[in-house]
Amino acid sequence: MSDGDFLSVTDVSKWYGDEQVLHDVSFEMDRGDVTVLIGPSGSGKSTMLRCVNRLAEAQKGSIRLDGDEVLSPDIDVDDLRREVGMVFQGFNLFAHLTAAGNVALGPRRVLGLSEADARERAADQLERVGLADQLDSYPAELSGGQQQRVGIARALAMEPKLMLFDEPTSALDPELIGEVLEVMHGLVDEGMTMLVVTHEMSFAREVADEIVFLDEGHVVERGPPEQLFERPEKERTGRFLERIASHD
Amino acid sequence: MSAGGTLALAAVESLGATALGWPFVGEAADWEFVLRNADYLGAGALLTIGLTIGSILLGFLVGFPAGAVEVYGDGYLERAVNAAGIVLRGTPIVVILIVMYFVVGVPQINLGVASISSAVTAGILGLGLRSAAYQSQIFRAALSSVDAGQLEAGRSIGLSRFEAVRYVVVPQALRRSIPGFQNEFTIVLKDTSIVFAIGLAELLTRGYDLFSEQTTAVLEVILFISAIYFVLTFTTNRALDYLGGRYAIPEGESA
Repeated sequence: MSDGDFLSVTDVSKWYGDEQVLHDVSFEMDRGDVTVLIGPSGSGKSTMLRCVNRLAEAQKGSIRLDGDEVLSPDIDVDDLRREVGMVFQGFNLFAHLTAAGNVALGPRRVLGLSEADARERAADQLERVGLADQLDSYPAELSGGQQQRVGIARALAMEPKLMLFDEPTSALDPELIGEVLEVMHGLVDEGMTMLVVTHEMSFAREVADEIVFLDEGHVVERGPPEQLFERPEKERTGRFLERIASHD
Repeated sequence: MSAGGTLALAAVESLGATALGWPFVGEAADWEFVLRNADYLGAGALLTIGLTIGSILLGFLVGFPAGAVEVYGDGYLERAVNAAGIVLRGTPIVVILIVMYFVVGVPQINLGVASISSAVTAGILGLGLRSAAYQSQIFRAALSSVDAGQLEAGRSIGLSRFEAVRYVVVPQALRRSIPGFQNEFTIVLKDTSIVFAIGLAELLTRGYDLFSEQTTAVLEVILFISAIYFVLTFTTNRALDYLGGRYAIPEGESA
């Protein structure tokens, strides 16, 4: 198990109004780890993920990333986010920009690269996700799978030290899921540190160093995939996995 | 014949039987009268164009930020902008113009080569501020219509809130503003005639002056100035259509 010298999430709690959606969530990651958050919808896994780059605000607890306290009011959230890439369930590509424009915007405006350098970096990243031939395509001209790969390239172009994936394949037609998972597999092989929310259990089983099972905002159980999938300790975990399996 | 038909026929007859004869409409003498005064009407058209451009520009420069403040601002600024918009939209334009000219008393502006009279300055300020109040609503609606995920994605790569709005939301909102902006342009163009209230004679007022002088030429004068209005609105709307098409976001079949 990780000792959490890269990311350590400790007792994170969050409320929406009176409703508590995260209850003292804790887990740790080392550099190069892949951690997968699983759980039924509404279990708080996406919210937990968003707390890491402060797209959602946790009200209690601690998230230490590479030595810095993410939840500190003194931290510059823009600096934090340039180092933490995010891939969205709904892609959220910039609709008015081409694939290259989407990927180049961060390097150009956040990192201050020249137009030409940003464009070159965009081309490199799009090649990395297998879209070298779609530089000038607009999001609406791309398939869902291609759009999500642009989304991944956009995050990678910032050279992040941590990548967050928020159900990256949930909005995709079944036949398009494979191409996105393939890109994610490639990142795992390169040693990228990844925190992933997904319902793709076979992907989780293959690549995760640790699975965290969340239900109703609580960490019910966590452990390496072979343990959690084969010999879950908690009854709730077993029930969830059975329900998921019957859909596969 | 129906009552409506009889009424229409009576209306046509009241324009004068000769008005519908050859050459198409009107008497040759009345058309000559209009053409003799074409310079007079042309000067009015120039004032109409000047007032429209000045007002639309001022309306854009003030209205766009105002719309953004209404969407993204908070506190006193947002409330002040909101209140100013409600007052401007709720006040008749004649009242706004009279307040600008007689109460505020804006000065004449000297530009070296030319000077803008205080009445024209008041006209542009009045029409421009009112247009700003309407344009702010066009932009507000357009900004709000851009999916929240766009802003969030912008923030996720490290853009500040301002940068994400500037580089991600605004370019999309401007494109969506074009149809509303076309309406607003047409409305301002035609509303410039209300500057007669502060003594300015633009196209419509000059037309009124002319047919008051030669009362048989009402139809000819009205047709002539309508044609000018039509050319102005048509060309501008087509230009904005072109702009909309030029910057349209391509949509594929696969989406």
